[in-house]
Amino acid sequence: MYLAFSSLVLLVLFVCGELALSAALPAVAAAPELVRGRDADFDSVRTRLFDDHSGRKGDPRDKYFHESIFHPHYDGRFADKPLPSDERRTYLVALIHTYLSTMNDIGAETWIVHGTLLGWWWNRKIMPWDSDVDVQMSEKSMHHLADFYNMTIHHYKLPGASKGRDYMLEVNPHYTNASTEDSLNVIDARWVDTESGLFIDITTLRRNETAEAEGKKGAMMCKDAHHYMFDDIFPLRESVFENTAVKIPYAYSELLVEEYGPASLVSTDFENHRFDQEKMEWVPLRFA
Amino acid sequence: MTQKLGQEQVEEKETQYEYTPQGPGLDTRQHMTTSYGHKPLIDQVTNGWRGDVKIPEDSGDYEPGFCDIEDEGSCPNVSRDIVRSRRFRRMLALVVVAAILAYYAWQAYLRPRLLEDWEFKEGFMSGRGNGTYGMARSGDFDGTAIKDIDAALVPGGKADHDGKRRLVFIGDIHGCKKELLHLLDKIDFDSAKDHLIATGDVVSKGPDSAGVLDELIRIGAESVRGNHEDRLVEAAKTMLDDDVDVPSAAITSKGSSKDAALLKHMKPRHLRFLHDMPLMLRIPALPLAKHPGKHHIAEEITVIHAGLVPHVPLEKQDPYFVMNMRSIDHKTHVPSALHETKKGNSKPWFNIWNWYQDRIDRGRSVDGFHVYSYAEWLGKQASHGWFEKVRHVLPSKHNDKVTPQVAVYGHDSKMGLQLHRWSKGLDSACVSGGHLTAMVLDAKGKTEITSVKCKNYK
Repeated sequence: MYLAFSSLVLLVLFVCGELALSAALPAVAAAPELVRGRDADFDSVRTRLFDDHSGRKGDPRDKYFHESIFHPHYDGRFADKPLPSDERRTYLVALIHTYLSTMNDIGAETWIVHGTLLGWWWNRKIMPWDSDVDVQMSEKSMHHLADFYNMTIHHYKLPGASKGRDYMLEVNPHYTNASTEDSLNVIDARWVDTESGLFIDITTLRRNETAEAEGKKGAMMCKDAHHYMFDDIFPLRESVFENTAVKIPYAYSELLVEEYGPASLVSTDFENHRFDQEKMEWVPLRFA
Repeated sequence: MTQKLGQEQVEEKETQYEYTPQGPGLDTRQHMTTSYGHKPLIDQVTNGWRGDVKIPEDSGDYEPGFCDIEDEGSCPNVSRDIVRSRRFRRMLALVVVAAILAYYAWQAYLRPRLLEDWEFKEGFMSGRGNGTYGMARSGDFDGTAIKDIDAALVPGGKADHDGKRRLVFIGDIHGCKKELLHLLDKIDFDSAKDHLIATGDVVSKGPDSAGVLDELIRIGAESVRGNHEDRLVEAAKTMLDDDVDVPSAAITSKGSSKDAALLKHMKPRHLRFLHDMPLMLRIPALPLAKHPGKHHIAEEITVIHAGLVPHVPLEKQDPYFVMNMRSIDHKTHVPSALHETKKGNSKPWFNIWNWYQDRIDRGRSVDGFHVYSYAEWLGKQASHGWFEKVRHVLPSKHNDKVTPQVAVYGHDSKMGLQLHRWSKGLDSACVSGGHLTAMVLDAKGKTEITSVKCKNYK
C-alpha cells in the first residue's frame, strides 16, 4: 500500500513537473522571439492535412507568407497538390465570390486589378488560364482588417460544397512597412481557401511619398512596384464580375493598356484560347 | 545633186554625190563617207557599160568575204555602232532621265501616299489572326448609353415643316456662365425654336458650375456626358452623405477634393441633370438638308464628349474612351486619353475617322474590314458572288448598309477648334482663356461658327 501511495505521489509530482516544464519551455524557447510577430504555422491552422507542404523551411527568415512547395499559387498548409484543371475554375470563382462578399460585409474598400481586371474587360469573368485573382485595397481598409479581422475564418455555404467551406483572412504584419525594399513581403494580406489551398493576394494602395515630395501630387504605389495616380483609381466604379458586385478602378481601360499594351484589349488569340465574339467566351483551341 | 540611197538613208545630211565621168584608166569620184565610216554601196557601181572602165584593183579597205575576228577594225560591229550613234545616245539619255524622275516621283509622292493610306487602312483589316478594338465587352455606362434626339427638336423634322428650328452645339463650357450667356446672346438664341446641345464638361474648373447647370435646365438644353461629369456622378455615390467631410487633397488628390467641394454645392436637380446625360446623342439626317460638304451637314450626327473609334458600332464603344480619347493607335485602334502614347503609333482619332467616313461616302468597299456581328458577317458572305465582286470594285453611290456620319465633340482643348468634313471639334479652351464656340445648324444643314472670348479661370 505504501508502494501504491508513493507511486501515486511520484506520478503527481511527475505530472506537475511536466506541466511546469512545458510552461517554462515556451518561455525559454520564445525568449529570442518575443520581438517577432507570431506567424500562423502549420500546427496552429491545419485542417485535414498531417504534413506541412508550405515552403516555410526554405524561405528567408523575414518572409511572412510561404507559398507551397508544389505550386506558387497554393498555400501548403492546406493543400498537398494542385487542383485538377477542370475543378480549379470553380474554386477560383468561389474564392472571389466569398472574398467580395466578406469585404462588402466588413465595409472594406477593395477593387480588382491586373489579370483579373483584364478578364473583367473581356467578358466579366476570370480568364480560363488564370490561376489567381488580383485585388487591391485602400490603406484605411487594410488597417481596419489588420486591427479586427486578422486570422478570422469565414464559413460559407456553397453549391457543390455540402458541408460548406472555410476561408481564412490573414494579414501580413509587415504591411505596416510601406517600403518597396521589403521585397520579401510585397503581399499585404491573403484570402485563403482552407480546402483547396488557393488564395487571393491583396496589396495595399499607398501614397507614393517620394514621388509626392518630388512634386508629383496624387501619386500612388503598391509594395509590388506598381504605380498609379490617385485619379486613375478613384472614384471607383461599380460593376459586375462573375455575377457578383465588384469595384473597378476609374480609368480601367487606360490602366490595362499601360500595364499590358494595346494588344491585350484587342487580340482575340491568347494562351491557346480564342475569344468567340458570339458567345463572348474564351474557347480553348483543341489542336494548338 | 542629192540622191537617196535606198535603205541606207543618211539622217542629217544626204551625201552629196557627184559623178564626173572620167576617161578610161582613172576613176576619180568624190566620196562622202557616211556616218558609219564606210563607203556607200553606190560607190561600187562602175558604170562599166559606158565604156571600158576597169574596176580598180586596189579596193582599199573593202574586203569581200568574211571578216577577221582578230582584227578589230575589219568586222562591222553593229551594236558598238548603235551605241556610238547619236540617235541611240539621245534615246538612252531620255530613258535615264525618265527613270530618275519616276523614282523621285515614287519616293516623294506615291510611296508616302500609299504608306499613309495603308497606315490608315491596317487598323481596320481583319484576317491577320488577331481581333480588333470593339470585340470585348469593355466597360459599363451608368445611364443611357445611346440617346436619340427628341424628334420634335429636329430642324425641318415632323414638328418643323417650315424649317425654322436650329440646333446649337457648344463645346466644353466648364462653368463659365458669363461667357455662355454672352454666346447665346450673340447667336440670338431663342429657346422657342433653338435647341442647345453641349458636348459635355459643362461643369468643373470654371467659376460657376451650378449656375451653368441652372441655365441649361432653364432653356431646356441637353448635353452628353463628359469625363468631368462622369467623375462627379461616380463620386456622388459615396460623397454625398452629410456627415462625410470633404476629404483634403493631401489624402486624396487636387481634382478629387475639388470635385467633392463642388458636389457639396449641388442640388438634387443638378445631380439629376448630370445623371441624365447620355454617353452619345444621335441626330438623324436633316430632312431638308441639301448639298453636303464641309459647311453643310446632311448626314446623321453623333454627339459625344471626346471621340469614337471608326467602323466600330456605337454599342461596342468603350464608355471611358468615348469620354476621354484624344488619339488612336493606328494599328490596333485602341484609343488613349493621351495625344501620343509610349508605343508611338498614335494618330489623332478624327484623322482616321474622317478617312473612314470619306471612304464610305465615296462608296469604296470595306471588304476585309472587321465585322462585329454574325448578321454583318452573313451579309458579307451573301455579296461574294462574281457579279457582286465586280459591282463592288466600281465606286457606287450607295455602300449597302453603312452610311457616313458626322461626329460632334469637345474635350481636346489643346487641339482647339477642329472643323473637318466629318468631325467637328468644338472645345476652344474657354476656361483657360481661349474662346467659347458654338456651331449653329439650321434646317437646310448649313453650319455657322460663332465664338466669344473667355477669361482665364485657371
